[in-house]
Amino acid sequence: MNPGSKKRHVDFQVIAQWVKPGDRVLDLGCGRGVLLEYLQQTKSVYAVGVDVEFEKVLSCIKRGVIAYHGDVKTILSRFDADSFDRVIFSRSVDLLDEPDHILNEGLRVGKRVTVGFVNHGFWKNRVNYLLRGRHSLNEVYPKKWYETHPTNPFSIHEFDSFCEARAITVKDRAYLQGDWRQTCKSWPNLRAGYAIYDLAK
Amino acid sequence: MNDSEQPMQISEAGEVGIVEYQDFVSAQPFQFESGGTIPELTLRYETYGHLNAAKDNAVLICHALTGNHHAAGVYSMDERKQGWWNFMIGPGKPIDTSKYFVICSNVLGGCSGSTGPESTHPGTGKRYNQDFPKLTVGDMVKAQVLLIDHLGIDQLHCVIGGSMGGMQTMQWATAFPDRVGSYIALACCARHHAQAIAFNDTGRQAIISDPAWMQGDYPDGEQPAQGLSVARMMAHITYLSEAGMEARFGRKRRNQEAHEHFENFDVEFEVESYLRYQGQAFVSRFDANTYLCLTKALDRFDLYGESGALDETLQSVTAPGLVVGFTSDWLYPPQGNRDLVEALLRLGKDASYVELEMDAGHDSFLLCSPKLDALIRCFLARK
Repeated sequence: MNPGSKKRHVDFQVIAQWVKPGDRVLDLGCGRGVLLEYLQQTKSVYAVGVDVEFEKVLSCIKRGVIAYHGDVKTILSRFDADSFDRVIFSRSVDLLDEPDHILNEGLRVGKRVTVGFVNHGFWKNRVNYLLRGRHSLNEVYPKKWYETHPTNPFSIHEFDSFCEARAITVKDRAYLQGDWRQTCKSWPNLRAGYAIYDLAK
Repeated sequence: MNDSEQPMQISEAGEVGIVEYQDFVSAQPFQFESGGTIPELTLRYETYGHLNAAKDNAVLICHALTGNHHAAGVYSMDERKQGWWNFMIGPGKPIDTSKYFVICSNVLGGCSGSTGPESTHPGTGKRYNQDFPKLTVGDMVKAQVLLIDHLGIDQLHCVIGGSMGGMQTMQWATAFPDRVGSYIALACCARHHAQAIAFNDTGRQAIISDPAWMQGDYPDGEQPAQGLSVARMMAHITYLSEAGMEARFGRKRRNQEAHEHFENFDVEFEVESYLRYQGQAFVSRFDANTYLCLTKALDRFDLYGESGALDETLQSVTAPGLVVGFTSDWLYPPQGNRDLVEALLRLGKDASYVELEMDAGHDSFLLCSPKLDALIRCFLARK
């Protein structure tokens, strides 16, 4: 297991805490299906993963995870309201073209929505910009800007403002420190490296 | 994230080698959905690999409109032409004959040995021709069920097919859920859209308007060759894509030197030569009445059913499935494939959708590609 996967495991545990046994779960930007495989094993969920990359979808199928190879926006539009108990965006919101619209769609299709995101207000990110004038390169973001997809980085404060502006109820929040292992209790916008929100309409 | 995972490699694969077809004969009258009957029925089929003692390793391959039971191998060592899905079926290949017992039969209504319009009615001693009962994809599958019964198989490990074969696959999954362990439908759809029906009918009109068709009663050994070859030429265009044709033919000319002496409508461009050859070759291997019969069955196929709701008709599916669409397929476009999976997911079924970026159009599933190879391999071996 590489160091990255250890980190991922803690946020999976947090995400799994909010999933009830037998839930219908839709994971948008499911990657290789590791989270959904974990949820299937621990919570016996009906899980559907969505990803745009063939290799990721192939890994899901290999794992026995149901996968839909395609666009998040398209698949959301195909489901009625409250089709899923939970819609999960795990590290995928910053990659969306229309985050406002798609999160709203997620809240329509899912009774609850989990959003896990990297906090760009984390102090190290600020220090890197302040002192070095460049964004952080680390295990989570190992690639230079020109080697990766366009991203739309945001902070915990900014996500809170979004929820407030759209009257989204935040049922629960969990913050992880920069190591993505320890939970973070205070000053999350400065001290948390990762945030996980449980949202309802 | 498990980045240590490597994309699947295509492993060293063997060949199924020399194969023989067999004929399954059901002496019972066979009733069609339309109400018509035939007194007996033959299905010509081939098998590759071995049926295990538990009889649970059988994979049924369903062929497309003009395909047949010869899916893999060769009939003799001198023969160069292999079965139509030879790269997919064999020891160590995605549909691995060292693990699976692979069955492929010529469809009911076909002209490669199974009972169809070209067959002789045992009562009259004459060919069925236009008296062959109205055919549906449901009838094709009902006939395959008889074959599977005959082979002593309760449940197929997997049913796999592309195009018309995909329709049969979906028909198996919906009409015989207990007999299907899993399924893979490629370049498929729940029903033809207007454009697909339009192309089919234009092809049929080319045949029917050929005087040699003679209301379907053309003599043995003769064909409405002109009509059938034009139908095939046109249909063949719908199986390719603009990008694929452009890459293969572009505006390449057939014979630069002789160009000066061309009559107006002689073959001038490569693409003309290719299509004319396809049309002529088709006449020598496919029966015109069969073509009319099968294309009608395709046009009639409608998984939306009488209710018009895919979400109702797919309710009966129990097996996990995989549907594969191809980006350049404009005959059965990706959305038609997605529609199937989206409905299945709304119903809480185990169904996956994968879209492969290939430029060979509808025929993409007939071409060897590492992605399709890996996909089918993975799905068959999934947990």
